[in-house]
Amino acid sequence: MKCVLIAGDSAEVLFYWTDPDFQQDVQDQYGLSQEEGQRPPAFEDSINTLFAPIIISCSTMVDRLGDSYACFTTESDHIYVLHQFDDCLYIAVNGDGEEGEDDLRRKIFVTKKLIEVLFGMVTLSSNLLRKELRPQDTEQRTRLWKQLQGLLETYSRLRENDQSFLVEAVERLIHPTLCEQCIEFLERRLVQHLNSTSSLERCGEEVLHAFILVHTKLLAFYSSRNTSTLNPSDLLTLIVMAQNMYHSNTDEEDPGPEDVDSVSGSGPEMFYTPEPSPTNRRSNRPSRGETPMFEFVDPDIQIAEDSLQTLEVPPPDPAAPCRVFLEVSLKDGLYPMMPHSMYCLPLWPGITLVLLTKIPNSGVAMSVYVYLEAFAKLEKRLYEGQEGSAATRGQPTIHDLRGKLDKFIKALGPCDIQTSQLQNVWSEFKKRAFTRGGPGFTKELIPWCKSMKTQLCGVYKQCFLNEASRGATAPQRLSPALQDQAQAMVQEKLIDWKDFLLVKSKRNITMHLTYLEDFPGLIHFICVDRSTGQMIAPSLNITERSTSELGKGPLAQFLRGKVWGLVRTTRQYLQKGYTTVTLRDGDFYFCYFLWFENETGYKLEEVDLPVLADDSAPIGMLARDYYRKLLRYYSKNHQGEVVKCYELITIHLGVIPTEYILQHCRQLASKLWEPSRNPLL
Amino acid sequence: MAELMMPDSRRCTYFFLYDGSKVQGEGDPTREGICYFYPEKTPIDKQELLCGQLAGVSRCVSELSSSPVRVLRLRHSKFAIKMEEDFFWALGCSADFPTVSMCDLLDQLISLFCFYNGPVRQSYQENSRETLALHWSRYLLYLQTGSTELHHIFSCLRTIDSTHIDPLLLLKAALILQACQRCPLVLAGCILFRGRVVSTQMPPDLTVKVMAHETQTYNKDKKPNGVSSSAPLSRAVTSTTVHLTLSELQDLRSTTVDRESRSHSTPSKDNRPQRTCLSRTLSDTPSTDSHTDLETDSPDTPLKLDGLLSPVLSRGAEQSAARPTVNPLLFQFSESSPSTNRKGPRSGGNEEEDEDDSVLEKSYYYSFHSHGGNTSQADLQGEASPLAEASALENEPSATPMSDRRSGPGCWTPGQEGSPEGRAASRGSRDGRNSGGASLPRVGDKDRAVVPMTLYQHRVKGLVLALLVEPHFQRDTEAMEEVYHSSLASLNGLEAHLRTMAPGPPGPQGPYIFAHYDCIQNTLTTNVSGRAGGDQDHSFVRATSLLHSHFCNSEALQEAIIRSARTAVYATRSVAQETYFLQHGGVVRNSGVPNHQDTAFSLPSKARHRLLKHGVSLL
Repeated sequence: MKCVLIAGDSAEVLFYWTDPDFQQDVQDQYGLSQEEGQRPPAFEDSINTLFAPIIISCSTMVDRLGDSYACFTTESDHIYVLHQFDDCLYIAVNGDGEEGEDDLRRKIFVTKKLIEVLFGMVTLSSNLLRKELRPQDTEQRTRLWKQLQGLLETYSRLRENDQSFLVEAVERLIHPTLCEQCIEFLERRLVQHLNSTSSLERCGEEVLHAFILVHTKLLAFYSSRNTSTLNPSDLLTLIVMAQNMYHSNTDEEDPGPEDVDSVSGSGPEMFYTPEPSPTNRRSNRPSRGETPMFEFVDPDIQIAEDSLQTLEVPPPDPAAPCRVFLEVSLKDGLYPMMPHSMYCLPLWPGITLVLLTKIPNSGVAMSVYVYLEAFAKLEKRLYEGQEGSAATRGQPTIHDLRGKLDKFIKALGPCDIQTSQLQNVWSEFKKRAFTRGGPGFTKELIPWCKSMKTQLCGVYKQCFLNEASRGATAPQRLSPALQDQAQAMVQEKLIDWKDFLLVKSKRNITMHLTYLEDFPGLIHFICVDRSTGQMIAPSLNITERSTSELGKGPLAQFLRGKVWGLVRTTRQYLQKGYTTVTLRDGDFYFCYFLWFENETGYKLEEVDLPVLADDSAPIGMLARDYYRKLLRYYSKNHQGEVVKCYELITIHLGVIPTEYILQHCRQLASKLWEPSRNPLL
Repeated sequence: MAELMMPDSRRCTYFFLYDGSKVQGEGDPTREGICYFYPEKTPIDKQELLCGQLAGVSRCVSELSSSPVRVLRLRHSKFAIKMEEDFFWALGCSADFPTVSMCDLLDQLISLFCFYNGPVRQSYQENSRETLALHWSRYLLYLQTGSTELHHIFSCLRTIDSTHIDPLLLLKAALILQACQRCPLVLAGCILFRGRVVSTQMPPDLTVKVMAHETQTYNKDKKPNGVSSSAPLSRAVTSTTVHLTLSELQDLRSTTVDRESRSHSTPSKDNRPQRTCLSRTLSDTPSTDSHTDLETDSPDTPLKLDGLLSPVLSRGAEQSAARPTVNPLLFQFSESSPSTNRKGPRSGGNEEEDEDDSVLEKSYYYSFHSHGGNTSQADLQGEASPLAEASALENEPSATPMSDRRSGPGCWTPGQEGSPEGRAASRGSRDGRNSGGASLPRVGDKDRAVVPMTLYQHRVKGLVLALLVEPHFQRDTEAMEEVYHSSLASLNGLEAHLRTMAPGPPGPQGPYIFAHYDCIQNTLTTNVSGRAGGDQDHSFVRATSLLHSHFCNSEALQEAIIRSARTAVYATRSVAQETYFLQHGGVVRNSGVPNHQDTAFSLPSKARHRLLKHGVSLL
């Protein structure tokens, strides 16, 4: 019983995702209320009708009370979490007890993040976003919704099963030598090679980042020089996207460490190895054994006008990159949602090479962002009642921008971009704001600020989202040949390591080798470096076939439940400002610590952390980077010093005396980050 | 009491009761449905907005999930919701108040209303909205005033500070209550002094309700609605009609004294012996946990009920014949009550506890005799035989029709008019009567069926003896006078002693703060004073409310230490208690790195050590 829904301000559903249970439930409800012989309405309509009163009531509350719903809980423990982003209302529902309120809120924020990565600054204009999320064209809509639904499902699966998505930090494969070699390879061979081919073949693109993923774990990451770093939030989102594209079900594909030899090189591998022909490559995807989203039982329903199942979605061009919008930090500031192209090149099942390129006209995005920000600031000031010159303060002033924007619009002209509307609005704005005797900077300018923003977003959209429809002769991408080359190069480099890597990704740290002797009674731990967004933990596999250090089957499942519950609990306390938590729970003793260090490993003193509201953004790094804010907050008193933030979670047997447990925690903390053994460097 | 009242101790920001059945048509204005709205000064259009939107959206969500909404959170506040038939209650609190406690408060409020007024639908048919509005506001005030924030978090009873009182006085109070119970028409009682419990024989939730009446009369010295002063006795005695749910009644009857040993003067034909249980004091709990108890009681009580409720029996007998379907419900309930009791942190005592009690009972028993009681030693020895007898009874197949009869006579069941929904709903609300824990507590989910009883009160200045008695006690002059006269002298004596007891200086604060919550008696011991809310006090209360919610939502959690840069709080709980402890100023600026020398980790031993002198044993 799960559902995620996005509604626009006029209560229309912009996007939804439901699991089969929820769908069945809704259909049952409608089945009851339908008269005999009448066909039940299309699912989309039912869900629209059911949620409409909630959505309308929500906007009434906002309008008249200045407050809105955050959460409903029913006596049967169904949970509804609601969150409003601008004009869009997000609702997440759970009725099977598998997700808590925090999980649902996180899901909402992750949905929002995914949409931001897919649509960039278009999300800043709710009017445009509405059209993007719910395209008029049914085929387009089906394709888009399927994509988003797939991403959400992949995310949910990862959050449920993968520790790195539980704590929202990237996990690296721990093999320093190999990692180093791979990074060197990416730098010296791959990226250099790609970027030195003819610009024509690259279509003007330039590879900025390259990384290799083994399942969700990072083997090597290379960013070319003078490039902004990729922040953990974006990286985690890209991992979700990569996993969604080449989803390899862990169960099916994991040979288990015992029978690696028997599997390698034979049958199953063939199945997963991408075919040379690009079209076939993608056509393998549906075989991933996942339940189709729109599973209508009644054949009648399939005829229903709006049902999506009936529409065959043509496969997308396989060599086409995915347009993603990522944050770029430059010397002069942060630029969120800058367009990149993402190429996911599968090497072997479970192992993927990801290239992120800069596209030629990305400068436009930067300018658009600057103007958008300026207009938003101006609007805010006018809203607050500051008029005249008070409204135009700040850097850069609107006067500075005037000339630049004029030039910007002129420059857009030859790029096939429709700027007439922008031009109209801009000249109208100028007339009102700058001409003598005109109204000047007063509240009346607010609607014009808004339209300017919308127009700018429109230009951005034309530049970065509508390439296909613009009918350009050569699609914007690295040539397929070049992509194949890159794929082949890395395959060749890693062919001998392939099996090792797949096993290693399952057993990143093996507890019984060292930890059991060093830390008797320690069952599990997770250590996170929040400054880099990386984590390290013994693997915790819960599938039937693979044994992990924590046993298999029900026992591992039980411990998994404990770990997941513990992380959820500690976040609740952290939200209220508690950085140390120890719990005696049944037969276990849990510890949680968050602390700050400087670059040399010197422990910094603790400060009172801000206490957050219950419905504030979830604590984590994927959707909204809580820890980045935390570090910024902490660094205020440590100017000029690099501050690092760490977290440690441990589970011990309850019979171990507390002193030993605390000693273990201390030793673990220092051992894991010792430079000589530091696997994360 | 007022001296402890904090300026912000009123947790409730909004409370309203909305009757959806009054607003059915398109044109019906929302205000028609508003039965009561707090704060009463709220402009009517805001009232309408809140009632209309919250009731509407909750209804929609309930339909989507096929389950009533329990909690509704807004960005800046939250509401506990109760939906029943067409009624919709909402109680709003600030966002930092624990949700568990907020839901408790709403349940308490509703059950308090029903206790004094009977079923809601019926009381709104019989009384005007204005009258009942007065009642709601009074109950709301009662539940909120006089408590510190900590008391609200645990929604606990207000008791006298036993550390400043000679234990003999507590014993004396218990004995007075026992003596009263010799009259078979008396079910149970409690003694209150200046709005605080001295001794009670009733379960905590019932004591709270009984106290509401006392507190009002004590505070206002004015007779609330429905009170009839009984003419023959002095003006100090009042009695008022109250309404007990079947489960409450069953709890009371299952633990009352052996009726054979009671005095003569009653029309009761009841001669079925019960498990002997002579005394129930503060430390006592209803022993519904023991299976033998339940098994013996379920066939036993209905018989008594029939006998004692003879005035209304004639009507009920026909109904019981007509509705044989009800009995599975009743049985289901009696079986479910021990299991639900065990669930939450507020659950009934464990077995050890019960054993302790029985030891206590015996010792009280002897002291009772030394004070010149007239029961004989044989009664004590007789304890085994009634049990055996009762279990023999239990085997009889007649148990089912008997329990059916119980629901018939003298009960007001709103669903009785033959509506199956009503019955189904009451079945739904039967579980979780006393579960303060699990995910969402449904404490005080009253059964629909209520039985009218009488609350007898005898006031001696600040002291009040409150007894729950069978309805015809009022007409039984002989019994009434006996109860009155047998207790009068002792009450006077007790009052004099309690009055002279200095309220006591608010004990030495010590370098620590603690709160000790007894889940069974529902009492709180703490050295946090209501007024001097220091910085540490606030962080202690905040931590406590977080930890308490956590305890409520987790079954296996036994112990927790949480630390921020400035404060560290240690919390531990067992089935019977929760304890919270904070050491003043002890937290050195820690770096937060795992370190066994961190002062936070020495809290458990300090708490064990320090709290011993408060009578709290954490060993």
